[in-house]
Amino acid sequence: MSNIPYEIHTLANGLRVIIHEDHSVPKAVMNILYRVGSKDEEAHRTGFAHLFEHLMFEGSRHIPHYDEPLQRAGGQNNAFTTSDITNYYLTLPSNQLETAFWLESDRMLELAFSEEKLAIQKSVVIEEFKQRYLNQPYGDAHLRLRGLHFQQHPYNWATIGKEISHIEGATLEYVQDFFFGYYAPNNATMVVAGDVDPAEVMQLAEKWFGPIPERALKKHPLPQEPAQTAPRRDTVYADVPFPAVYKMYHMPAHTDRDYYVADLITDLLSSGRNARLFLNMVKQRQVATSVSAFSWGMYDPGALSIDAQIAAGHSPEAYEEALQQELDSLQDLSEEDLQRIKNKVESMFVLNQMTILNKAMSIATCDSLGDPELINTTPQIYQAITLEELKEVAARIFHPNNCSTLYYLPK
Amino acid sequence: MLNRITPPPVRPLSPRTLPAYREAALSNGIPVYWIPHGQVEVAEVMMVFRAGDSFQPKPGLADYTAKMMAEGTASYTSTGLARKLDDHGAWLSHETDMEFISLNLTSLERHLPDTLPLMHEVGFTPTFPEAEFQKMKQRNLQKQRVTEQKTGWLARRHFGPLLFGPEHPYGKSLGLPEIEAIQYEDLAPYHQRYFQAGNAFFAVSGRFDEHKLLALLDQTFGGLPYTGANKEDSSAKDVPFVTQTGRHYVEKEGLQSTIRLGHIGKERSHPDYYPMEVVNTILGGYFGSRLMRNIREEKGFTYGISSNLVSFRNDGYFLIGTDVKKEVTQATLDEIRKEINILQTQPVLDHELDTVKNFMAGEFVGSLNTPFEIADRYKTILLDGLPTDFLSNYVQNLRAVSAEQIQKMAQSYLNDEVLMEVVVGGK
Repeated sequence: MSNIPYEIHTLANGLRVIIHEDHSVPKAVMNILYRVGSKDEEAHRTGFAHLFEHLMFEGSRHIPHYDEPLQRAGGQNNAFTTSDITNYYLTLPSNQLETAFWLESDRMLELAFSEEKLAIQKSVVIEEFKQRYLNQPYGDAHLRLRGLHFQQHPYNWATIGKEISHIEGATLEYVQDFFFGYYAPNNATMVVAGDVDPAEVMQLAEKWFGPIPERALKKHPLPQEPAQTAPRRDTVYADVPFPAVYKMYHMPAHTDRDYYVADLITDLLSSGRNARLFLNMVKQRQVATSVSAFSWGMYDPGALSIDAQIAAGHSPEAYEEALQQELDSLQDLSEEDLQRIKNKVESMFVLNQMTILNKAMSIATCDSLGDPELINTTPQIYQAITLEELKEVAARIFHPNNCSTLYYLPK
Repeated sequence: MLNRITPPPVRPLSPRTLPAYREAALSNGIPVYWIPHGQVEVAEVMMVFRAGDSFQPKPGLADYTAKMMAEGTASYTSTGLARKLDDHGAWLSHETDMEFISLNLTSLERHLPDTLPLMHEVGFTPTFPEAEFQKMKQRNLQKQRVTEQKTGWLARRHFGPLLFGPEHPYGKSLGLPEIEAIQYEDLAPYHQRYFQAGNAFFAVSGRFDEHKLLALLDQTFGGLPYTGANKEDSSAKDVPFVTQTGRHYVEKEGLQSTIRLGHIGKERSHPDYYPMEVVNTILGGYFGSRLMRNIREEKGFTYGISSNLVSFRNDGYFLIGTDVKKEVTQATLDEIRKEINILQTQPVLDHELDTVKNFMAGEFVGSLNTPFEIADRYKTILLDGLPTDFLSNYVQNLRAVSAEQIQKMAQSYLNDEVLMEVVVGGK
C-alpha cells in the first residue's frame, strides 16, 4: 500500500544521491547521513562522534557560520548521532534549494577547525552530559546498563560517551583525523526531497558535491558481541525515591529479518494503551508505576530494553518474577492479537510518512541499512510475520541467560 | 572555479495560500469546521470543548477527567476500547490545554464508520470506574515524587505563583498536594458541566469525502442534547494578577542551576504581539539567537538557552530558560541582563532583523505541512476568536515590525521592574 517513488544516483566520488518529489508544499528537505556513529570510537576516546556533530555547526572552510545563512534563507536544521550513524537534516523554502547545497557541500569539503571552537563545544557537550544524564534522577541508568550488556562490542558506551573526561581529552588533531576518516562523500547518503526538480537537483549535486574528493575511510572491523551464556546483574544505590529495574536483552541486527519480529514484539509489549506491559504489570498487577520496552534499532546485533519504576510496597524481585511470567505468556498469543498489532504498526508507518522531512529521513536510514526500497517494503515485512516466528523469537530473546539487569535502588 | 564564499541569493518566499476551512453545523447545532487537504486518506477529527486548566475548581481536575473518560464507557471496558481502536489502526487521545480539552481521533477514512462511535463513547458515556481512578492517582503520586527531584520542576513550581499570583490559574502546577486533593467525586460533575454539545465544536482535517464525513458526524453526534451555546469563559479573566518581581532563589544540590526569567505577556490580538514575537526570536527564539550565541556558542556555559512567548486567550507570558553549570549561575544572569540591555539601548540592525524575519516566516510556513498541522492552528484561531485571515496575514504582520518597535518593547517588557527571576540550584 505504501508507494514512495524515488530515484538514486551515485556521483563519481561515491556520494549517493536519492531524490523524492513531493510538491504538496513549497518546501525542500536535504538529509545527509554519514555512516559513522559512536561504535566507531575507541574505548578510551568515547563521546567523540557526538562531539563532532556539534563541531559541524561551527563553521566550514569557506563559510564562517553555518546557521546564519540558512536562517536568512528561511531554513531550519538539526542533527542527531546514534551508535551507528550521524544524520544532518535541514528544511527550507524550495526556491532556496541551492543554499542547502552550498552549505552542506562546504562542510563535507572541510571544517574550519580551531582550538577555541573545540574548547567551547567540549564544554557545551559536558553540560549536555550533565543536563540529560547526570543531573536527573535515574539519568545514568542506561549508560550503566550498556556497560553491563555489551562486553565486547562498542555499543558498550552511549553516544554521549562513557565519561566526561573522554570529552575533556579530545584534541584538535584527533578531530581532524576523525573528519577525514569518516566525513567523506563515499561514506554518505544525501536525500533531497520535496518540491524539487530531479534534473536540477542532479545539476546542483554535481556542481557543489562533485568536486569533493573521495577519501580513504578509516573503517575497521568491529568486535562482535559473543553470545551471553548466563544472566548478568548489577546494583547501584543513588539518591532516588523508589527502586527501578532496567533490563537489556540481546536482539537481532536491524538488517536481520528477525529484527522486525523483535520490533513487533516491542510494540506489542509497550505501544499505546493496549500495551501488554502497561495493562498487565501496571494496571492489573500494580507491581510497577510505569514499564516501557524499547528496541534500539542497532545496525549490528543490538539491544531491546525494558525499564520499570517499581510501585511502592513491591520489591524489584517481585516485579522481575511478574515480568518473566508476562514475557513467557507471549507463547499464548493468538492470531487475533498478532493481526491487531500488525494493523497498528502499519498505521504508525503510514502516519509517520505524512511529512517530507520524515520521508527523507526514512529513505536515508533505509539506504544506510543497505536497501532504500525498505521505505516501501517495511509494512510487508511486518505483515508477513507468523505467529510461530513471533513465539520462537520471543522465547529466544527473553531467555534469562540473554539478559542483563540493573537494579537502581534508593540509598 | 566554484565560488564557495558568496551565498546563493536569498529569494523572496513564494506566497503560500493556505486552504481555508469550510463550515457547517450538525442537526443539533454543533459547529463543524473542516479542511479538506492532504494526500493520504487519513482524517483527524478533533472535538474541542471549552474547558481545561483555566476552567477548573482544582488544578489537574480537567486533565484527570479527560484521562478517566477512556477508562470505561457504556459499551466498552478500557481494554476493550483500546483493542477496538488497534483493530482499526486508529488513535484516540486527548489534549488538555489552558483553554480547551480536545478529543482527537486519527483514523483511516474507510474506518471512520467504526471509529467515530468510539469517540462518542469516550466523550459522552464514560462510566468513571472508581478503582481505576484510585490506581491512577496512586501511580501519579509516585511518579510525581520522582519529578519533584528535578530542578526544572522546582523552577516551574515557584515561577508560576510568583509571576501570576498564587490564585491565578496560569500560575498553578500539579504537585503532590494538588494530586492528593483531586477526588473521585469531582470527575462526573466536571464531565457533566463541560462535555456538552453546546460547549463543543469539531475541527476535521485530512483527505476524505466531505458529504460522507458530515453525514457520519451527524449520525454519531447530531443527536446529543443541545441546550444552547455555553457562555462560560475561563476563570482567568476574573482573577487579578498578583505579580512579584525581583530575584527568588531556591537552593538545591546538583551539578547545574536552572534559571527562569520572565514577565506577563499579551494575547495574540494585542498590538504588541507581533513586535514581542520578534523580540523573543532575536533574544532566544532560535538557534542563532543572541542568548544562544553568547551563552552557549561563545561561553560554553550551557547545552541550550531559549526564550518563549506563550499567548493565551487573555494575556500570556514571556520566559527565558536555561540549565547552566552551577559555578557560572551569576555570570549567566549577568550576560542575560547584558543582552537585554543591548536590545533596550541599541536598535537592531537591518541585517539581523532581516535574518530573523526570514527565519520566522520560513518556520511559520514550514510548520504548516500536513492537514493536521493546519487544522491545529485553526483550532487556536477559533478558540481565541481571532480573525480568520490570521494565518494568511501572519507573515505580512511580522514583516511590518520595525527596529524602533523592538527597542520600545524591550524597554517596556524586559525591564527589571517587571521581570521576575527564579534560580534553582546554586547562586
